[in-house]
Amino acid sequence: MSISRRSFISGSIAASVFIALWDIDPSKAEVKIGDNPKDKKLLMKMCRDIYPHDRFPEGPYERTANDVITKGNAGDAKKAMLSDGIENLKKENYGNMDIEKSTKYLKKIEITDFFQHVRGTTVVTLYNDQEVWGLLGYEGPSFDKGGYINRGYNDLDWLPEPRIEEHPDLAVFLKADPNRLAAIEEMIKSN
Amino acid sequence: MKKINQKEKAVVIIGSGAGGGTMAYQLTKAGIPCVCLEAGPYHKKEDYVNDEWGAFLQMAWLDARTTSGNWRVAKDFSGLPTWLCKAVGGTTTHWAGATPRFMDYEFKTKSTYGNVKGASLLDWPISLKDMEPYYTKAENAIGSTHRGGRPALPANNNYKVFAEGAKRVGYKFYATGPYGTNAEPYDGRPGSIQDGFNFQGDKNGSKWSTAKREIPRALETNLLDLRTESHVTRITHNEDGLVDGVIYIDIDGNEQRQEAKAVILSGNSIESPRLLLMSESSMFPDGLANSSGEVGRNYMRHLTGSMYARFEKPVRMYRGETMAGFCADEVKHNPNRGFVGGYYMETLALGPAFLGSFLEPGAWGREFTNMMDGYENVAGMWIVGEDMPQSKNRITLNTDVKDQYGNPVPNVHFDEHPNDIAMRTYAYEKAEELYKAVGAVQTWRTPPYPSTHNLGTCRMSAKPKDGVVNKWGRSHDIKNLYIADGSVMTTGAAANPTLTITALSMRFSENVISQLKKGNI
Repeated sequence: MSISRRSFISGSIAASVFIALWDIDPSKAEVKIGDNPKDKKLLMKMCRDIYPHDRFPEGPYERTANDVITKGNAGDAKKAMLSDGIENLKKENYGNMDIEKSTKYLKKIEITDFFQHVRGTTVVTLYNDQEVWGLLGYEGPSFDKGGYINRGYNDLDWLPEPRIEEHPDLAVFLKADPNRLAAIEEMIKSN
Repeated sequence: MKKINQKEKAVVIIGSGAGGGTMAYQLTKAGIPCVCLEAGPYHKKEDYVNDEWGAFLQMAWLDARTTSGNWRVAKDFSGLPTWLCKAVGGTTTHWAGATPRFMDYEFKTKSTYGNVKGASLLDWPISLKDMEPYYTKAENAIGSTHRGGRPALPANNNYKVFAEGAKRVGYKFYATGPYGTNAEPYDGRPGSIQDGFNFQGDKNGSKWSTAKREIPRALETNLLDLRTESHVTRITHNEDGLVDGVIYIDIDGNEQRQEAKAVILSGNSIESPRLLLMSESSMFPDGLANSSGEVGRNYMRHLTGSMYARFEKPVRMYRGETMAGFCADEVKHNPNRGFVGGYYMETLALGPAFLGSFLEPGAWGREFTNMMDGYENVAGMWIVGEDMPQSKNRITLNTDVKDQYGNPVPNVHFDEHPNDIAMRTYAYEKAEELYKAVGAVQTWRTPPYPSTHNLGTCRMSAKPKDGVVNKWGRSHDIKNLYIADGSVMTTGAAANPTLTITALSMRFSENVISQLKKGNI
């Protein structure tokens, strides 16, 4: 997606405000692109549509959207990208799309920097979220709890207990001339 | 700690991983004072964190690098071709622990496989027989399970799925090792508590690393001057063409020089050739030790690929020793499969954070989240096989991009060989069969991660025209310059390389010691 100053200016209200400020003193500009309830809701929907987990509540997606916003405000180019992207979501009435429609739409914009920014941030932030870990059944740090040696490292009970020692023929197998092994295998196959 | 004067002509080791850390211990044990320059800090076991991204940011080598070639890493992780460590202990801080030896014919693949189009296969100048005593010593240093009378690790959940699947498809050669983490206390290190964190550094200290064993022991001799956060930028030479010093940026960011009577380069397959190339001079315009033109060439990264499988019942693969599951049935060369060489299957587990990022970089949507959603029911394995050395796969200096010290960054070029692709495709199919045999409801062919096994680029050869170092790790061109790391591997074999790097370093150290004692260097 090409980013022009014009498209930046025609972006969200937040962007316009920001532009107004930046001409005076950019370092004092505090309005962040996307950092308002309406835009954030759109971004949360987008995060969820890209990585849909029906059993995840809003919390992880909200924290992820916050990160999408923060990282999307790091520098002017990023801000323009984010502002443009949000504006396009609005134009397409993305907020009202069902998952089928939104998936089709996201597929269409998959190559844009905006999509890649949202997807790339989400895949890291969402799956690094501690609430998500719990929802997925991952227990996180374990050393302080003594590892899993007494807490189920081997509690899988739907398969038989396997052998842990090496097979007695392993050493011979590893030593054997590979061409000879191949010849034997051929012989077995052709019989 | 010993202080060696910078004006004193010292034995200088660059790097403290499997190659450099082992060398430092071998030399100081033999009474030879050494300076060891390590680019990273010294993390102790209490500093490690049980957190995938946290540990990655703590230890990974994140200096700027560029990539090119048709490998997928160049597209998905263009600035991160490898996953190596910048820390005392080098990449042994985050290695998983698998310690297979090379097989006999893997030292002579050119003779065994014949001519493979596009591959620069070459027989090693040494054989398995030459290596066996060092393999035994290295296994004893590492404490490999299933070796030297040491017990096997017990079966964890991920292994139970892996081993039963292997059994059902007719494989025989599966076990929980050989593996470089103690099942029971050994050599001053405790037995594993199965905490599931390996790639993050082992807080329990059950896993071998040179940060845990060789470096502390070398320091105890009081002959090692270990300088951490000291990043070498150039090796210098005198008018006789012998190396005579190294330039490095110290912990405070100041440039320093250490005079040297011998240099042992152990910077891994990216930084070692880069340093040789950056050290070019009017006498050596193509870089040090590069009369053959082979410095940086024949970069290998092992076949690799992962298979994750989702089941209807819980697996909890993240509990327990990550790679304590091993299957060797497909490792033997058998051209009837449509490729040369072979591969191992090894258990592998990632947490949700890394699985999300690496399961299929760039992927999204319901099929992807089905896999993630079933995280608790997912089992995983890694496929690690021999890849073909190719002359064009190489490390070069990218003068368009500069690192934090203003030096050209290494560009890592890698094109996959048709043999690599054929082997990976075959391996994925076999892995799917294995997991389906125990009821997998969804499987995923995960592409290679940023490279953890980095090999070649300064290869060992009988003839000086074919490679960079001789069978003692001594450069063909410069008699007081040695290389002891994965870069010297002539070909890569299927085996995880740490054991072989450690064994080679032990072997090379004998030559360094005898040459120093004879006064030849």
